[in-house]
Amino acid sequence: MKRQLIAAVGVAAMVVGVAACGSSAKSGGSTGAAKYDGKTVTAWLMSGSAPQAWQDGVKADFESQYPGAKLNIQIQKWDGIGAKVTTGLSDNSVDVLEVGNTQTTGYAATGGLLDLTSSKADLGGNDWAANLNASSVLDGKQYAAPWYFTNRVVIYNKALWTKAGITGTPKTLDEFYGDLDKLKATAGVSQAMYMPGQEWYTYFGLLAGIGGQIAKQTGSTWAGNLESPEAKTAFQTFQKLQSYSNAPKDKDEATPEQTTVFAKGDVGAMIGLGWEAPAPADMPTSNVGFFALPGTTADKPSGVFLGGSNLAIAQDTKNPDLAKGLLKIMMSDKYEGQMAATGLVPNKTSLDSLATTPFAQAAIPASANGATTPNTPNWSNVENTPNPIKDFLAAVLQGADYDATAKKYDATMTQLLGQKQ
Amino acid sequence: MAVQSEPVRVQSPKRAAGDALNSGRPFAGPSLLSRSAPYLLLLPAILATLALLGWPLVKTFELSFQNLNKRQLILHLTEWNGFANYTDQLTSSEFWHTTGRTIAFTAVNVVLIMGGGTLVGLLLNRLGKKMRILLQAALMLAWAMPIVAAATVFSWLFDSRFGVVNWVLDQLGWHDMADYNWYSSQTGTFFVIVLLIVWQSIPFVAFNMYAGLTTIPAELYEAARMDGAGAWRIFRWVVFPSLKPFFLSTTFLEIIWVFKSFAQILAVNAGGPQGLTQTLPFYAYIQGTGNQHYGIGATIAVLTILMLVVLMAYYFRIILKQEDEL
Repeated sequence: MKRQLIAAVGVAAMVVGVAACGSSAKSGGSTGAAKYDGKTVTAWLMSGSAPQAWQDGVKADFESQYPGAKLNIQIQKWDGIGAKVTTGLSDNSVDVLEVGNTQTTGYAATGGLLDLTSSKADLGGNDWAANLNASSVLDGKQYAAPWYFTNRVVIYNKALWTKAGITGTPKTLDEFYGDLDKLKATAGVSQAMYMPGQEWYTYFGLLAGIGGQIAKQTGSTWAGNLESPEAKTAFQTFQKLQSYSNAPKDKDEATPEQTTVFAKGDVGAMIGLGWEAPAPADMPTSNVGFFALPGTTADKPSGVFLGGSNLAIAQDTKNPDLAKGLLKIMMSDKYEGQMAATGLVPNKTSLDSLATTPFAQAAIPASANGATTPNTPNWSNVENTPNPIKDFLAAVLQGADYDATAKKYDATMTQLLGQKQ
Repeated sequence: MAVQSEPVRVQSPKRAAGDALNSGRPFAGPSLLSRSAPYLLLLPAILATLALLGWPLVKTFELSFQNLNKRQLILHLTEWNGFANYTDQLTSSEFWHTTGRTIAFTAVNVVLIMGGGTLVGLLLNRLGKKMRILLQAALMLAWAMPIVAAATVFSWLFDSRFGVVNWVLDQLGWHDMADYNWYSSQTGTFFVIVLLIVWQSIPFVAFNMYAGLTTIPAELYEAARMDGAGAWRIFRWVVFPSLKPFFLSTTFLEIIWVFKSFAQILAVNAGGPQGLTQTLPFYAYIQGTGNQHYGIGATIAVLTILMLVVLMAYYFRIILKQEDEL
């Protein structure tokens, strides 16, 4: 009964569609309705990724383009997502899924993701920014489509900066240190900047910005690279910045949520993502400013860690054509533009102009100088708790010898990166 | 232990009447049903144990001989790799470090729990009625508190900036402790975890101790006192011998419980700093679930079970010997 009703609605929608614009339907007439009837595509998106309007729009467009087919969007939590994705790919409970960019090659190597190389051009892949697409490619094959990216900038409390007598934002790191010194000496400022010692994303960005690598590849093996001179130089910058903070050296930006600390109003600045800026209820928007973390010279900001997500299709999907069709809608300029409008970095530089929030204006110029994590299937082993980079930063900031500690954690990283698949 | 069989209420009125004649003794009568009744009554418990414990155990054992990571799970591959997981672990210095740490951790906890629990049990026996009920209520609350809730409370008590403990120490004159970070060192973190586990385990020992003490006749104490024995000697020569089975079984139970404690370690500092407070169950979790090397995780779990089996074998030997003596 219900099935018949759905079919009837599907046919009706189809007829209306055909009547409205005779040639637009992909598959003609009632056979099309039968083809998609009762088929459901399940998409997993991560919590906080896509705005509701984006989801509703994609769903409506998908269901009108493929009459009879249904889109079931399920929102997943980041916590414990690795095991969940493994299960989903294993028991065929997901068709299209959002995968964090640092985890994509890991899943590509398992054989659980559909090879999209032949569909890349159709998805608009010829215009994707190269550094954003890097994490979707393994051994020359395209296993995912880059969806959105974001990077950290300095978020600052304008009232406190004015009070400290600072005019304008710093153009070099030295100017920034000078500003932080002024803030430190200002009454009502508890700490010039909030920066916990395990905020490794900033360290990663500093390292990438001076041309260093957190891990290096020789042949087919990867090894930790904290002992390299670049890693040490980047650490010195990181340590200098961290010294302006009273934040715990052995915690990351999530414990406590740094945004709650900053929102109290007595902290000069923090390094964070767009969503970490305080809500207007906690601090007026006009009081919150953004600028890219400056570099050693004024012509180039410091490097940044490019966080973000890709969209992939499960290898075992029962409806590969529908899944690809859905992916194409999600990747279209219309919906990618909507992501950009929320302040995220879109996958095509041509859409950058749509990202007009104050955060995005600071973040996008810095993203050009950003890097993603090493492109090896085992990288997610490093990011799993206990993340050796975080432990390394905490140890050295608390006084351990740099070289000896770097050696110890390079060995840990090498072991994690070399684990059997 | 999570397995509990449903209380079995059987017997139709007719049969109950028949049984009443036999006054509950296992009788060697003609009925097959009544002869097999004890086994039938045991059946639900055995089935539950087999389904909920036995089967997962067999599976874990099977997995420990496989190379099972996310790739194999997604592609539904079974890759047997013999004893490779075992040789990897048994030659890994990290595994042996963790094992040593787990043993030391267990020893410290069990000594403190048994010592503290015994003293509280003795105290319960000596207190007046009102104070005893008050103390029992307090013990009950500590025991009934869910582990994760307790761990969360403890991690706040010992928070470096907002924690009550540091505030109190500061007020008492240890101003160095005002911003002390308990979680930045191995000893600091272990201190918090041990305190948490001991606090939650003492009630069990204390209640059992108190229950045991009520079975010792007052005459024995009197006789000992007449012979001029002090508190320590009464404990050593009257209480301890009477309650030896209690001390044995409780100690072994505590060893098992502490050895496999997991939630406390995860909730207080997630095995940190720098993995220095990881014990075997936590290590198995990190390797297995965290890093998605399910085969290796299973291997560590099996090795942990083997260690406990060796301990338990010793315990059963003592128990059997005692029963022979009785």
